[in-house]
Order: sequence, then structure tokens, then C-alpha cells
Amino acid sequence: MPEAPLERASSTRQIVEIVAAVVLLTIFLGASAWRQSDGLSSGTLAGTAEALGIIIAAGLTLIMYSFLYRDNPFFKAVENLYVGVGLGYGAVMTWHQALKPEVVEPIILAPSFGALGSALIVRGVPILLGFMLLTRISRKYSWPSRYSYAIMIGWYAGMGIPITIHTFILEQVNAAINPLFAPGASPLATFLSINTQIIVLVGTVSVLYYFFFSLEHKGAGKVVSRVGIIFLMVSFGASYGYTVMARISLLIGRVDFLLYDWLQRPRP
Amino acid sequence: MPETAITTVSDAELRWQLMIRRIIHLLLPIVVMVPFLCEIDMPGKPSPLVKQIYYDLEALEPGSVVLFSLDFDPGSQAELAPMTVAALRQCFKNDLHPIVMTHWFSGLGLHKRLLEETAEEFAPDKKSGRDYVLLGFRPGGQSVILSMGDSITGAFDKDYYGKITEGMDALKDVDSLRDIDYALVLSAGGTIDGMWIPYGSDRYGFPIGAGCTAVMAPDLYPFEQSKQITGIIGGLRGAADYEVLVGAPDDATSAMAAQSFAHLYIIGLVIVANIEEFVRKRSKKRE
Repeated sequence: MPEAPLERASSTRQIVEIVAAVVLLTIFLGASAWRQSDGLSSGTLAGTAEALGIIIAAGLTLIMYSFLYRDNPFFKAVENLYVGVGLGYGAVMTWHQALKPEVVEPIILAPSFGALGSALIVRGVPILLGFMLLTRISRKYSWPSRYSYAIMIGWYAGMGIPITIHTFILEQVNAAINPLFAPGASPLATFLSINTQIIVLVGTVSVLYYFFFSLEHKGAGKVVSRVGIIFLMVSFGASYGYTVMARISLLIGRVDFLLYDWLQRPRP
Repeated sequence: MPETAITTVSDAELRWQLMIRRIIHLLLPIVVMVPFLCEIDMPGKPSPLVKQIYYDLEALEPGSVVLFSLDFDPGSQAELAPMTVAALRQCFKNDLHPIVMTHWFSGLGLHKRLLEETAEEFAPDKKSGRDYVLLGFRPGGQSVILSMGDSITGAFDKDYYGKITEGMDALKDVDSLRDIDYALVLSAGGTIDGMWIPYGSDRYGFPIGAGCTAVMAPDLYPFEQSKQITGIIGGLRGAADYEVLVGAPDDATSAMAAQSFAHLYIIGLVIVANIEEFVRKRSKKRE
């Protein structure tokens, strides 16, 4: 997307930004050298590596936040680095945690013919189905992958449908249908329970009605639909509040790291 | 559509909007940093949902097995690592046997560090294989849970360190998921309501507690109401509550003041923005 006219940097502004970047880099390196001096001069490989790791992590964190000023080459570089590291880490972990123990060691590095035979009996078909998925890379010869997909879909449908009905429908319906009066409960508890049950009932019915499109929402139906919207809005508000909390928590995590790990402030 | 909006806004107004945006962004980290720098403490009162998980673990006999499914990676470390450490501390304190596994291989290194550091710091006499087990990761998602329903040592024939799990002291009374005394699933996405409730606890009948990022918490309330999970530790706030309950205030508790300050700041922004919008609309109407 082209930048807005005001976002396009003039040459003067570019110079100011470069100078600011150099100053910030100098401050960052100075602060890193000062606060991480113990680790860097520890003389041990582990200590030095840890200090360098903290400095790099702090630098990358600050570069990521530079996006809040505006998009810049440092941010782009770190963004791509993140994707690359994630992919590389994923590839290595997939090899060590899945392919090597599940395929290579039992089949290729099988200690005996007997072990190979039993490994092939148990793992042969799944491994073959896995390889058949790789035929998707060819348009002409992709047909074997359909068998793998058919088995996967059949398995998940067979397992998933009854489980989904039980967990997400029957259990939830069961929880929504509760007696208003609990035997032996105090008057206050009964009063609160009745209120809760009525709110659950009104909320469930009105929201379900709001998503019922076979009838035009007018007259009394419009009122019910409006009540449904209110319940939905409250739900969206709660979700938004929790989302703000989550995002702030991530920022707090980074601030905590910068203050206590990078700048070595003593923890309270 | 945005281009039309830009053309109707004057250069001065656009410059002002960009400036305001940057000021808002700059102020947020400052607002978050102030409580840390001034060491402001704002301990909260633990919520009933968090307390429930704490009391569930407290009620277990020494030697009981608690399955930890740590389904998060460093991206959610800020929220989920503190509650992991707090729950592990409680397990070690009560002589429970935590069995740690994950569906997210990208977090495996972090999980290993959390488990080892907590064991070393809080219970140096605890030994891997005898008092706790790091099972690690197996590919398959739901299939792994179903396989564990048949046999845990069958699904994880070796632990993370490559040791044979069959015959390990920590797993001696555990054949399958039916023998698990409690499962605590700490997840950053999908594995609580997508895997552990439908394929795990509903099927094999073990109690399950959920720890999650704050974003996920509203989606899990219906499962608590239906008693499919016993409680919810939601986000950093839930982690702080758990630390208070365990009696070991740590990272999450010290972050609560920053969280509260940031929330006040956001609430202030929402109010100011609404007033501004209200005034703008009113002046437009007058025009």
C-alpha cells in the first residue's frame, strides 16, 4: 500500500531519523555493555553467551517496537528473521521429535530384521500414507494423496462427530437446564440461583432467535432479537476486555525482561 | 474507502492524528514501566475459579499424578509461564508427581527450562523419572490423547531425555489417562476445548483444570459452568492469583500494578475517544 503523503519522508526528515537511529543505537550498546558487563567479562562461554543472548533479545524487542513510530528496514529485517528462525526451529524439532523417532530409527536404523518387520507392520501403512500426501506437489500425479485425505477425513469424522455432539451440545444443553430451586439452599443462594438461571435462559433464547433468519424480526420478535443483540454486545465487550488484558500482559512481559534481565534492575 | 477518508482530512488534521497515535503508543510503555520503577504493589483477591484449581490440587494425596499439558510457546510465555511455575511449585510442595507433555513442539525448550528450574530451585531433592517426568512432544494431537487413553507409556515410550518410560517410578501406578488424578492444561490456543475436554476428560473421566491466555478465557466459561473443567486460570491476572494462593508471589504478582495502570490508561482513552466522537458528531449535526 502506498504511504500517505505525510508519511513519505523528506530528505531533512530522513537525516534526522538516521541521526536519531545512530544515537539510539549508541545508547543501546552503551547500556548493554554497562549492564551486561559482568556476563560479558565472566570468562566462561556460558556466561558470555547468556549475556550476548540477552543483548540480542533486547535489541530485537526494541526494533520490533520501532514499528509503532513507523515501518522501517530494521523492523522488516527482524520480522523476516523471526519467520526464518521459527521455520528453522520447526524443521529441526519436527525431525528430532517426529521423523527421527517415528520413521528413521524404527525403519532405517532398525537393529534387526525382526524389529524391522514388526516396525513395518505397525508403521508401514501410516508412513506410506504420509508419503502419498507429498504427491500434492505434482498436479498430474497428486491423485494418491486423495486416499490419505480420505482416510484422515473419515477418521476425524468418525471420531469427531459423536464426541462433538456429546461435548459441545449435550453437555452444554444439560448445563443450561437447571432447576430453579436447589433443595436445602439458603434463601440468598436460591435468589441468586434463580436470577442466574433466568439470565441464562433469556440470553440463550434471545441470542438463538437473533440468528434465526427464517422469520422476519418484527413486532415481539424484534424485541427478542434486540435483547439477543444486547447479550451479544456484552459478550463482545468481555472478549475485548480480556483481549486488551492479554496484549498488555505481553507488553508487561517484555518490559519485565528489559528492566530486570537486560538492565539488571534488582527485582523487588 | 480509506483513500477517500484521507482526501477529506486536511494535512494539518492528518499530521495531528499521526502525532496523537504516536503519543498514545509512547505513553503505554511508560505507563507500564512506572509501577515497576516505583515498585508499586497491588495484590489482588484470588477469584473462585482459580481457587477451585488450587483446592483440587491441595486435595490430592501425596504421590498422586498430575498431568501437565503445556501447550504454549515463548510467544505466550508472559502469561502462561508464571502459572506453570506456581502450579509446579504446589505439586512439588505437596509431593505430587507432575507429568509434563506438550502438543506444541515450539515450546518444548521453554517447558524443559521451567520444569528443571522449578525443580532445582524449589525441590532440589526431586529427581526426573522418580518424582516427575518430562514426556515431551508426540505428533498427532487428538490421536496422542486417544493413544494415552490406552497406555501412556505406549504413547510416550521414551521421555524427553530418551529414557524408557516403562517402569519409571513416577509412572508406576499409571497405565492410562484413566489413572491420572488431575490434569492441568495450560494452553495458548485450541487444545483445551479442542482436544483435552472432548477427547480426554469427557472420554476417560479425569478432572481437568484450565490455564489459558486472557484472550481464550471467555470461551472457556461455558465449560466451567457445565463442570467439564473444574476451574480457569485466566491470563496474567489468574497467574497472579495462583501465585498468591501458593504463597510464592513472583513475576505475575509484581506485574499486577502495571496491568492495572495500563487498564486505567486504556479506559481513559476509550472515554476520551467516545467524548471526542460525540462532540464531533454533534458539531456536524449543527453544521
